[in-house]
Amino acid sequence: MTPETITFLMKLLGAAILLATPLLLAALGELVVEKSGVLNLGVEGMMLIGALFGYIAAYNLQTINCLEELIPGFCQKEERFFTLTDYLMALCAAALAGALLAAVFGFLTQGLRSNHVAVGLGLSILGAGLSNSLGSNFFGVNYTSVQVADHPAVFGQDLLVWFSLLAVPAIWYVLQRTRTGLVIRAVGENHDSAYALGYNVPKIRFYCILFGGAMAGLAGAFIVLVHVDWKEGVTVGKGWLALALILFGTWKPLRVLCGAYIFGLLWASELRFDNLFPSWQLEWKTALTMAPYVFTILVLVIISRNPRMIRQSAPASLGKLFNPPS
Amino acid sequence: MFKLEPRQDASLWTSLRSILIALAITAVVSVLVMVVMSDKPAEAIWQLLSFPWQGRRMEVQFGLVAQQTAYLAIIAIGLSVGFKANVWNIGAEGQFAIGSVGAYLGYLILGSPEGAWALPLILLAGVIGGCLWALIPAALRVTSNTNELLTSLMLVYVASHLLTYLCIGPWKGDPKAGQAETFPMPESIRPETLINGTEFHTGLIILFVAFIVLAAILLFTLLGFRLRVAQHTPRAERFAGFSPDNTVWLSFLISGATAGLAGAVYLTAETGKLIQAENYLENFGFAAIVIAFLGRLHPIGILLAAFLISYVNVGASYVQASLGVDDSVADLIEVTALFAFLSTAMLDQYRVRWHTGSAKTSQAMS
Repeated sequence: MTPETITFLMKLLGAAILLATPLLLAALGELVVEKSGVLNLGVEGMMLIGALFGYIAAYNLQTINCLEELIPGFCQKEERFFTLTDYLMALCAAALAGALLAAVFGFLTQGLRSNHVAVGLGLSILGAGLSNSLGSNFFGVNYTSVQVADHPAVFGQDLLVWFSLLAVPAIWYVLQRTRTGLVIRAVGENHDSAYALGYNVPKIRFYCILFGGAMAGLAGAFIVLVHVDWKEGVTVGKGWLALALILFGTWKPLRVLCGAYIFGLLWASELRFDNLFPSWQLEWKTALTMAPYVFTILVLVIISRNPRMIRQSAPASLGKLFNPPS
Repeated sequence: MFKLEPRQDASLWTSLRSILIALAITAVVSVLVMVVMSDKPAEAIWQLLSFPWQGRRMEVQFGLVAQQTAYLAIIAIGLSVGFKANVWNIGAEGQFAIGSVGAYLGYLILGSPEGAWALPLILLAGVIGGCLWALIPAALRVTSNTNELLTSLMLVYVASHLLTYLCIGPWKGDPKAGQAETFPMPESIRPETLINGTEFHTGLIILFVAFIVLAAILLFTLLGFRLRVAQHTPRAERFAGFSPDNTVWLSFLISGATAGLAGAVYLTAETGKLIQAENYLENFGFAAIVIAFLGRLHPIGILLAAFLISYVNVGASYVQASLGVDDSVADLIEVTALFAFLSTAMLDQYRVRWHTGSAKTSQAMS
């Protein structure tokens, strides 16, 4: 292999990590939620809200001085060194925003027993609408003027990349080897039996939903703090891809990890076609941006054609309404 | 805290009451939102409620409201068919886009006609486009048991990229335009404006007529009854000889047709040409999902919900212009309304028992 090929492959891998990490974070959070028997379709909305609030927090931490008092209508942003603490605070803000939105979902579905699908869809649509209108009111229409400083890196990669990779074995361990995980799975497999054993089904599910929301918020924050700047609909459907990834991984963390990186690599290589085929026209490149979505559909078809695989690994009470016998 | 008990006496009155409670919650929270976001909340609320009678001509403001209402209502009623039967088509935005593409393709196939006779054919082409696009997730669901919710949504992204591709590539129009777009259709075949200077045009009448026809079918025919059976008791549906697969096909066919019609009317009446997706699609397909749930999946409810939300949207942009209250107010009110309506839906079937005293509270929670 020539050095050029190796650099190219390294660049490809770097881009794949950037694309795969938010998918992985959101999918792992949603995995726990689905294991507890709740189908939260609001991942996309929670990611967008998390992204917006993470971005706003980072922006506010970075730009502190405003000279509006001296010259009316003129705001001079004085850049400050963006420390690791600032970064962590921005991440906390994003996770908190995601968890808050998830709490609304949890209250409606667990407390008031509303339809999971309807509330989840509402969360996604309204999260998108709300983040657009709040974002454009906060930053104005011209988003490009906002620059968030470089994120602190650990071993050449962002902190969240390592966090997401560590979360895979951690979530596997908790779900499969601890008492907490057993309770979560019991609630997801058969909520009536779990209730009969004395477990507080809505409460356990509520905590799982909060966790899922926080992870989705982090995923959104990763996109805007590390990968690209905030703009309308910045997640480009990654929340929905995360949902598809769970089907792809048949509710197993390690397979979800593999799925996320396969998606990431494909997406990255599609974006790198510019370098490979510089003579290609713009219209072909536009047509090619459909590829990840078409690929997702194909994967879903292949996975779903094998109904045994889905039926054996899907939590038995997934998306079913829980009515405690009273 | 509280505890929910199943209700034996569910009736029309209990559902009506829960709707009234939801409206009351929405109103109270909307007032709170206004108080937080505006310096002059009383005036802002007054202007939001009475904007058609302020400033510009009343017809202009009501034209804007009617325009939004028509698109939202026709897509929402199509979606409600599937939602009732637990078939989740959330890709109406994509079917809307392909409806527009189909209509433009029809216009090209007819040889870029100038006469008004071509309009029905162009709209039909749009309906067919929307239907075909909607049948992809339906076919995948029936043949491969694929989750239709995810596939229909992925197809939204595919459709919007396809739209942009067509505008950049094969159907590229004026290269000097600031955005990628096709050549415009001639004014002579586009729907006529009924009142000068407003958004009232014959396209809206077509949409409202389609809405009424579909509502009548759903309320008064065997087909509508069949879908209601599928909603309430999926098992009875099978015993009665209705196949679940056919329900999937039918739901997607109807929702694809309505979204396609909306897309075709939007193309001919509003823009007259295809534009790259970001500047063309206005999220009607997604907003219609909210409208369908706000209207409790009932035609009359959907029409009322579409009108109210459009009224608030247009009103919020008016208040933004006149008082500088930003129009995310409309989004916040919409969020509140949706969650209020979804959460009070359980009041139809359950009675809320309030518990006082801490000992009982912990018991009620467990």
